[in-house]
Amino acid sequence: MNAFPGGRAAAAITLALTAALPAAAQWSTVSEQFYLPASHNWVFRAEHPAADRLFNAFDYGHAILYEELWARPRGPKEVLERDHYAFITRKLLVNPPRLPLEEAAIAPQYSRLAPEAKVMFEWAHLLHRQLYDILADNRLSESQRDEQVARVVAYYRSRPDLAFSARPKSMNLMEGQPYSLAFRKAYPKFNGLIWAYHWLQVGLYDALLAGSTPDERSALVNGAVARFRAMLIDPPRSMPYIMPMTAAVAPEFTRRYPDAAAIFDNLHSMHDVISDILATEDVPRSRKRAEILLAAQQYRDDTTEVLTREAWIGMAIGMGIENQGGPVVGSLAVPPTPTVELGAVMRHDASAVDPHAGHAMPMPATDSVTRLADSLTRAGSDQAAREPFVNALFRLLEDPAVLQRVVVDSSLRRVLLDLAPLMPPEHRGHYEAMLRPPPARPERRSTP
Amino acid sequence: MSIHIFARAYCVASHCLLAAALLAPTAAVAQTDYFNTDRGRPLQTQDALAIERYALELQAAPLRWSRAAGPHVVWAVEPELAYGILPRTQLEIGLPFYFTDGFDAGSRGGIGAVHLSVMHVLNVETLGFPAMALEAGVAIPAGRFGASDLYTTLGAIATRTMAVGRVHVNAEFTQGNGIAATDRRWEESRSAGLEELSRWKAGVAVDRALPLRSMLLGAELVASRSMRDGADVDWNTAAGVRWQLAPQWAVDGGIGRSFGDSREWSLTVGAAWSFGLIHLIPLNR
Repeated sequence: MNAFPGGRAAAAITLALTAALPAAAQWSTVSEQFYLPASHNWVFRAEHPAADRLFNAFDYGHAILYEELWARPRGPKEVLERDHYAFITRKLLVNPPRLPLEEAAIAPQYSRLAPEAKVMFEWAHLLHRQLYDILADNRLSESQRDEQVARVVAYYRSRPDLAFSARPKSMNLMEGQPYSLAFRKAYPKFNGLIWAYHWLQVGLYDALLAGSTPDERSALVNGAVARFRAMLIDPPRSMPYIMPMTAAVAPEFTRRYPDAAAIFDNLHSMHDVISDILATEDVPRSRKRAEILLAAQQYRDDTTEVLTREAWIGMAIGMGIENQGGPVVGSLAVPPTPTVELGAVMRHDASAVDPHAGHAMPMPATDSVTRLADSLTRAGSDQAAREPFVNALFRLLEDPAVLQRVVVDSSLRRVLLDLAPLMPPEHRGHYEAMLRPPPARPERRSTP
Repeated sequence: MSIHIFARAYCVASHCLLAAALLAPTAAVAQTDYFNTDRGRPLQTQDALAIERYALELQAAPLRWSRAAGPHVVWAVEPELAYGILPRTQLEIGLPFYFTDGFDAGSRGGIGAVHLSVMHVLNVETLGFPAMALEAGVAIPAGRFGASDLYTTLGAIATRTMAVGRVHVNAEFTQGNGIAATDRRWEESRSAGLEELSRWKAGVAVDRALPLRSMLLGAELVASRSMRDGADVDWNTAAGVRWQLAPQWAVDGGIGRSFGDSREWSLTVGAAWSFGLIHLIPLNR
């Protein structure tokens, strides 16, 4: 038997490959998994090719963003805000790739920094695509759609090491950390682009659900894509001013598939969190991987910064759909006029904390009541569509501060009282009682 | 055996593999297969990536043509099926078919040794470590073009991303009896199958992706020693491309050159189809 002279050379090369590595090198065994085979695979690609190709381009945007922030941390901001933005919006989104892209090929350095996060995103993006397929499949009845969505979501959640939590998380996780807001402040245009991506990614669900025929679905999907493109006209003014939330942009999808909606809000929040971690100088480079992995863990677990479903919906609506890019179904003829500053921070309120979840949590303010009332009115006569708004409204009105505001603001109380007929009969009395001003206290006589 | 017999045998085997894939009406796809290289598709040096768990990948028509200095021409086709059986672990089975020309006995065709292998990726690449994988395989005697003994191979793979692209290092060692240099099979068409065996092989490859084109360009340098007793180290170089043609299809092509005595040129072209079978995925049904 011959000796193996190549072995020494191979060992030397392997050693050389590992020798230059930082001392903080870490071992990762994250693994990928094939997506659920089903008859609806690739239906969205076939039925709505223009939108499908856009999502391929979105993959590039996320990847190149992270690569730039990690690989050139002190590089000029114009590289992202001007050069990459121009390439993406003038070329890539105009002629998007026909196939899903390999993120590791676009962001080779970032992919090695946090492969766990990369695979988490890919796993969630597969869920996105599988749900588009289901909702675009004209062969499926409504009940079959629901069944398939449940099946795909269950398959997604069968990987707890990759799956985002299906419980909604507080904005504090995204906006209340030491590194928070770093990206949106430094890169408002690119940040707006990412939010526009997220608007379309969740908004398309309601476009698909609203259409009752293939032609209607196509028209609604095309309308959503057109609205997305309009967001690019005057950046960042024409883009979402705050992170679009699924409950606001896709309320019907949220009502039917709340678990999936919460997963996507957590996914999109973590996209922002990683941008912040990479963009901030407050987190040293040696800590960035650890911070990313910590955030990933917090977005996967079912305990950290968990919101009640009602509070989550209330918060999303309270933030104002006009600030989140506008509605997808029944798109506005002109872009909505935001009512907050670009990149505004959501207000938080501990009263919305899920008492069963532990940890602190955020909540909307009293003007959320007005928006909820508006949404409730627009929900029409569909009891099921009204339910999440009703629940959110009750939740808000349980807050003494909100209730006090309602009591002293007669016009707001009038609006809410007008909603009483829309309340479920069994709750109507309680609702009206909550809005009733407390009896006036007798004035104390002054004693001589 | 005529080329027609060879064609028929290949056709039957290919249909068996294809049928396995087509049995399920529910085919899905891996995402970006072009980025996950396979041995021989088109380079001998592969990356330390396994296919996703539960994924199936069929190398449907990997064709290789080679011509050494002299009259010998070898056509080889090795349909191969890989399955992601465990996290970061894939099983592979392949059955090569050969057709030769230019040997004394004229044109010959037949099957070679059945290849079974398992690859386990120890870790994915991070800033701290290259991706590393171990591979074990066995070549089982099956047809006239294979060796008459069973050979087992153990190998290691590493992949590291550098400025130039991904660098892959492969090394493998094969356990089994050597074949005497005087064995008459070396002079016959059957040598086509024997040449595939090597006592050891080590290679380094570099590839670079064109992500927006879903394309991978690569080149390699491989050193190997044949199972023929007393053989010199053979040096080979090759270059190739993998291209994602459609979500489920990746194609590849390459050209290679040996610097050993044979001065062999080779060309290869192939297509891989990725899919899944719902019945292989444990679900709470």
